[in-house]
Amino acid sequence: MNSTMINNIIIDGMTFALPLFIMAIGGIFSEKSGITNLALEGLQGMGAFIGALAATLAAAAGVPDDSTRILAFLFAALGGGIYACLHAVLCIKFKANQVISGVVINILAMALTSFLTKAINRTVFGAASDKFILAVSKRITIPGISRIPVLGAFFTNVYPFEFLIIVVAFLAWFVLYKTTFGLRLRACGDNPGAVDAAGGDVAKLRFAGVVVSGALSGIAGMCFAYSILAKFSGDIYMGYGYLSIAGYIFGNWSLLPTLAACLIFGFARSGGYELVKALGMPSAYSDLVMILPYVLTLFLLIFLSKKNQAPKALGEIYDKSKR
Amino acid sequence: MNNGRLYRRIAVAAVLLSLLAGTVLMLILGKNPFLAYYNLLQGSGLAPKAKYAAARSMWTDLSSFIDFWTPMIFAALACAVAMKTGLFNIGISGQMLVAGFLATITIGYSGLSAYLAKPLVILIGMAAGMAVGALIGFLKYRFNINEVVSSIMLNYIAEYIISFFIQTRFVDPVSRQSKNIGAAARLTLQDVAIGGYKFSIPLAFVLAVIACVLVKIMLDRTVLGYELKAVGANRTAAGYAGIRVGRSMIVSMAISGALAGLAGVSYYLGYFASIQPKVLVSTGFDSIAVCLLGSSDPVGILFSSFLIQVIAKGSTYMSSQQGLESEIVSVITGLILLFSACSAFFMGLVVSRKNAKNNTKDLRFGDEAETAPAAVTAAVNRPAEDKGGEEA
Amino acid sequence: MQTQTTTGDYIVEMVGITKRFPGIIANEDVTIRIRKGEIYALLGENGAGKSTLMSMLFGMYEPDEGEIFIRGKKEKITSPSYAASLNIGMVHQHFKLVSNYTIAQNIILGAEPTKKLLGFIPIVDEAKANREIAEISRQYGLEVDPTAVIEDVNVSTRQRVEILKMLYRNAEILIFDEPTAVLTPQEIDSLLGIIRALRDGGKTIILITHKLEEIRQVADRCAILRRGKLIDVRDVPGMDAREMAALMVGHEVQLTAEKSAAKFGDPVLEVSHLVVENEEHFQTVRDVSFTVHAGEIFSIAGVSGNGQTEIADAVAGRLKAKSGTIRLHGQDITNMSIRQRTLAGISYIPEDRQQVGLILDFTLRDNLGLKDYHKEPFQKSGMLNQPVFEENSEKLIDGYDIRSANRGSTMVRSMSGGNQQKAIIGREIEQDASLCIFVQPTRGLDIGAIENIHRQIIAERDKGKAVLLISLELDEVTELSDTIAVIYSGAFGRIAPAEDYTTSMLGEYMMGVAKDNAKNGGGNE
Repeated sequence: MNSTMINNIIIDGMTFALPLFIMAIGGIFSEKSGITNLALEGLQGMGAFIGALAATLAAAAGVPDDSTRILAFLFAALGGGIYACLHAVLCIKFKANQVISGVVINILAMALTSFLTKAINRTVFGAASDKFILAVSKRITIPGISRIPVLGAFFTNVYPFEFLIIVVAFLAWFVLYKTTFGLRLRACGDNPGAVDAAGGDVAKLRFAGVVVSGALSGIAGMCFAYSILAKFSGDIYMGYGYLSIAGYIFGNWSLLPTLAACLIFGFARSGGYELVKALGMPSAYSDLVMILPYVLTLFLLIFLSKKNQAPKALGEIYDKSKR
Repeated sequence: MNNGRLYRRIAVAAVLLSLLAGTVLMLILGKNPFLAYYNLLQGSGLAPKAKYAAARSMWTDLSSFIDFWTPMIFAALACAVAMKTGLFNIGISGQMLVAGFLATITIGYSGLSAYLAKPLVILIGMAAGMAVGALIGFLKYRFNINEVVSSIMLNYIAEYIISFFIQTRFVDPVSRQSKNIGAAARLTLQDVAIGGYKFSIPLAFVLAVIACVLVKIMLDRTVLGYELKAVGANRTAAGYAGIRVGRSMIVSMAISGALAGLAGVSYYLGYFASIQPKVLVSTGFDSIAVCLLGSSDPVGILFSSFLIQVIAKGSTYMSSQQGLESEIVSVITGLILLFSACSAFFMGLVVSRKNAKNNTKDLRFGDEAETAPAAVTAAVNRPAEDKGGEEA
Repeated sequence: MQTQTTTGDYIVEMVGITKRFPGIIANEDVTIRIRKGEIYALLGENGAGKSTLMSMLFGMYEPDEGEIFIRGKKEKITSPSYAASLNIGMVHQHFKLVSNYTIAQNIILGAEPTKKLLGFIPIVDEAKANREIAEISRQYGLEVDPTAVIEDVNVSTRQRVEILKMLYRNAEILIFDEPTAVLTPQEIDSLLGIIRALRDGGKTIILITHKLEEIRQVADRCAILRRGKLIDVRDVPGMDAREMAALMVGHEVQLTAEKSAAKFGDPVLEVSHLVVENEEHFQTVRDVSFTVHAGEIFSIAGVSGNGQTEIADAVAGRLKAKSGTIRLHGQDITNMSIRQRTLAGISYIPEDRQQVGLILDFTLRDNLGLKDYHKEPFQKSGMLNQPVFEENSEKLIDGYDIRSANRGSTMVRSMSGGNQQKAIIGREIEQDASLCIFVQPTRGLDIGAIENIHRQIIAERDKGKAVLLISLELDEVTELSDTIAVIYSGAFGRIAPAEDYTTSMLGEYMMGVAKDNAKNGGGNE
C-alpha cells in the first residue's frame, strides 16, 4: 500500500463520510425530538433536486460558478427543509405511522424528482434528459499542511462543502446542547408530556426538528450531487440516507460517535475502491466493493442495536388529549 | 364495527384525491387529463385503442396486463402479511430479485422439461424469498435491528452481488441483461395463438388468486393468523399470552418473503424472461401503496393492485400518446400512498365523531382519559418501536 | 411573607363548570371557591371528575360551560403556560419528568435562565439554575441534588422535583393530583409536612385525593365530588369520616372486606433464592424465597419499583430467573415458557392492563380467548372455532358483568378501564389455575368495582387456590392478605402473617428502615 493510495482513501473517504454525517445530524435532530425519520433518503434526494435545479437555472442565467454553488446549497437546504414539512405534517398533524410516513416520503421523492427532472428539461430547456448536469466543483488544497504525510491528505483536494459541514456540525451541537431550544427539543424525545406541562409546544418543537433534518439532508444530497455524481439524476437514491440512519444508531444518537461511524463507512468505501484499482480487477468488481458499506452497516447493527438506547418517546404519537 | 366500509371509503377518497392532483399537474403541463387517463385504460387492455399491430387486440393487451398484474398481487400480499404482524417489509424488491435470479440460474438455464421446470421455479422462488425474509425477521428478533434498515441494506447487497454475477457470467451482450431463460421454465405461456391473436397466458395468475384466498383464510381463521395479528397489534400482550413473539416475527417474515419470491419469479420468469442488472423493480415499493390502499386485506389488495397496475401498465401508452413523462404515474402512485398513510387519522376522526354521537348512553361514567378521542389510531398505526428485544 | 386573608377573599373561583367528553359528562355545573392560603381538598372516587376539574384550572382542557376567576378576575385559561403565568402550578399524578435530564434541567425546562455568550448568543445558564434551585429547596426544606439524573433518583425525590418545578415558577396556587399514591406512610407524612409548610409560606394548595385520612390531617376545607357533580363542601375540622365516605360513594360503605379464616392446604408455589437481573445486570430481585399455599392470599407489599412486579413476571415466565428455582406443585418450572406455565396452572392479572393484559385493537371476544385460543375446542388442527370463542365470550360477559357497546364485537380500546379490568379478571379466573397472580388488580377503579374484585379474590382463595397479590395500596394488602411479605430494594424485609403487622411497621419495612432476616434468605445489603 503506497502513500497515494492512502491519500486517495482519505480524500474520497472524507468526501463520502462528511455528507453522511451532516445527514445523520439531521436524523438526530428529528429522532431526539421523538419523530422516527426514515425519510432522510427522500429528503436528501429532494434537496439535491431543488439545489441542482437552482444551479442549472442560475448557470443558464450566466451566474458565475462560485455563486451558483452557494445558491445550490442554499436551495438544497431550503428544498429539503420544505419537503420535510410533509413528513412533519403526516407524523404530527395526521398522526400517521412514522415508519410508513418515512417510506412514503422516500417513494414520493423518487417519483416526483424523476418526473419533474424530465418535465422541466423538456418544457424549460427543450431537452429530453433525465438529469441536471452540474459544473465541476472546485477543490481546495491548503498549502503547507497538505504536505504532511497522511494527515496532509485531510487538507488536500477538499470540496468547499466539507468545510461547510464542519461548521454546520459545530453549530448543530451548540443548538442541541446549549440553547433553550435544544433542551426542549431533546426533552420531547424522552417525555413530551413534560415539555407540554412546562409550557413548551411539543408539536412545534418536533416540527422544527423534522425541518432541520430536511435542511441538513438537503445539504448532504447536494454534496453527493456535486462530488460522487457531478449531476442530479435518479442515481442520487443509493440508500445513503439509510446508511446515515445506521450511522446514528451506531453512534447512539450522539454526535461524535456518529461521526466515527460515518468515517468508517467512508473509509470502507474508498478503501474498497482503491483495493479494486490496486489489484487491477475489472470494473465489474467494483460492484462487489459497493456492497461494503451496506454489509458493514448490517454487522455494526448486529453488534450495537440491542445495546444502544433510542430516545424513549421515539415514534410515539403525542396526543394532547391523552395527557 | 364497520371499519371495513370506512376503510373502503377512505381508500376511494385517497385514489380520487391523487387522480385529482394528477389532473392538476397535467393541466399545468398543458395536457388533456381525461385523454391521458383514458390512455391508461387503453394501455392496459381495458378500453380499445384506435389501431392495433398484427395479431394484437384489446384482449391481447388485457392478457398482457394480467401478466403484469400477477407479481403485484403476490408482492402486496407479502407486504400485508408482514404489516399484520407489525413489521414493515420494504425489502420485497430485493427478495424478488434474489428469487428471480436463483430460479433463473438454476432452472431457467437448465433445459428441464416444462412439467418439471415450472413447479421447480415456483418452489425455488418461494424458498429463496423465504430465506431472505426469515433472515430479516431473525435480525429483528435476535439483534433488534429495525427491519426497514436491514431490508434496505439487503436490497442493495442483493442488487450489487447479483449485478456482479450477471455481468460477469450470465450477460447477454446485446441486451446488457441476463440471458433469456428457456420457454419451458417460463411461467407465462408466450404467443399462444387463439382465434388469430397471440396471447400471453400468465399461469401464475391462478396461483396469485389462490394465494389471496389462502392468506385471507390464514389471517382470519387460523391459530397462526391469530398469533401473527396479536403480535402485530401488541407485542407485549402477545408475549404475555404465551405467544412466542420472536418466532412469530420470523414466521411472518418468512411467509412474506416466500410471497415476495413468488412475485419475483412471476415477474422475472413470467412477465419478463431476463433480469436487468443494477435495478430493483418498483413493484416491491409500489406494493406498499397497494397494501395500504387495500388496508392489508387480501380482498382489498386484489382491487387495489388492479388499480395501481392499470395506472402503471398504461403509462407507456399514455406517454407515447400524450408526450407526457410516464413518471407522472409514479407520482400519482406516490400520492395515493401519501393519502393512504393518513388513513388512520381519518379513521380516528370519523370513529371518534361517531363515538361522541352514539356512545353517550352505553358507557358508564368515569375513566375520563381512556374513552377520549384518538381511539382508533389503530390497525396500520402500531408504534414502530424497536425497543427491547422480547424473548421468545 | 403573606398573611391569612379574610373570608370571602377568593383566589380561585370556578363557577358553573361543565365539561363533556365523548360519551361522558366529566363535570356538571360544578362551582368551587378557594380562599387564598388554605389547603382545599377535592375528595371523590376515581372518575368523579376531580382531575378533569383541575385540568381545566391548569389549562389542559377548556370548560364547555362556566367561568373561572383568578384573584377576582375572569380568565380563559387556554394552556398550561398561561396557567403558569397566572402562578398556577400542578403536580401530576404521573410525573412529567425527562428521565435522562438532571433535576436542574427538569426544573428549568420551559422557563430556562439564559445568559449571553460573547455578549449576544443566548445559551442556557445551568450554573445559575443550580444556584437558584439550591436556594428554593433550602427555603422549603425540599432537599435535592440539582445535578442528579432523574432515572437515578427515587419516587419521592421525583415528586420533590415536581414541587420545585412549581416553586421555581413562583406558583402561588399549587395543585397536587393524588400525590400520596406512590409513597410509603413515612414519605406521606413528610409530604404532608411539606404541604403544610407551603401553606404557612402563603401558598394556596389544592389537594386531589380519595383518601379521607390525608384530608383529615392537612386540609382546611374539602369539596366532595361524585359522578361529576359537586355534592358538598365541608370544613375539615370536626368532620365525620364515615359520613364523608358515604357522601363520596353515594351509599354506606363497608370499610373492610368480609373474610373468613384461611384454611391453608399444600404448598402450591415455592420460590427459593430467586434472583432477577434487568438489562443492565442490576439485580432487581435479590435472593427471594417464599411459599404460597392453597387457600392462602400471599401479598407482597412495598413501594413501587422495589422488585415486586419482577417477582410476578418471573413466576409467570415473562422474565428469566438469573438464579434460584420456582416450583409449582413441586414441579420445577424455572425454565418453562410462559405457555407451559399457563398450562401448568398459573393465571396472571398483570399490572398494566392496556399494554400487557389486553390487545386493545382486538375485539372483546378475541381478547377473552387470548389464553385459550390454542386449546381445543377453541381450535381444531390449526383452524379457529369461532362459535366457541363466541360462547366463551358470552359466558364471561354475563358472568363478570363486562359492559360494552356491542358485547363480544366491541373493540376493547373503546371500553372503560373498569370493564377492561373485569375482562382480564374474568378471563384469568376462568383459567381455573391453581395459582392466581394479581398485580395491582384495582388500580384506577372506583370503590364499587374494587369491592367486587376483592370479593372475587377472596372467593378464589376459598375455592382452595393459591393467590399471590402484589399491590401498592396498603389498605388492600392489609384487608385481603393472610400472609404479607414486605419488599424493599429487591429483597424481603419480613414475611409474616398479616395480623402480625401494624401499618407503621409495614411502612418501616417498606422503607427498608426495619428488617428482619429470620425468614429471608439473606441478600439484604
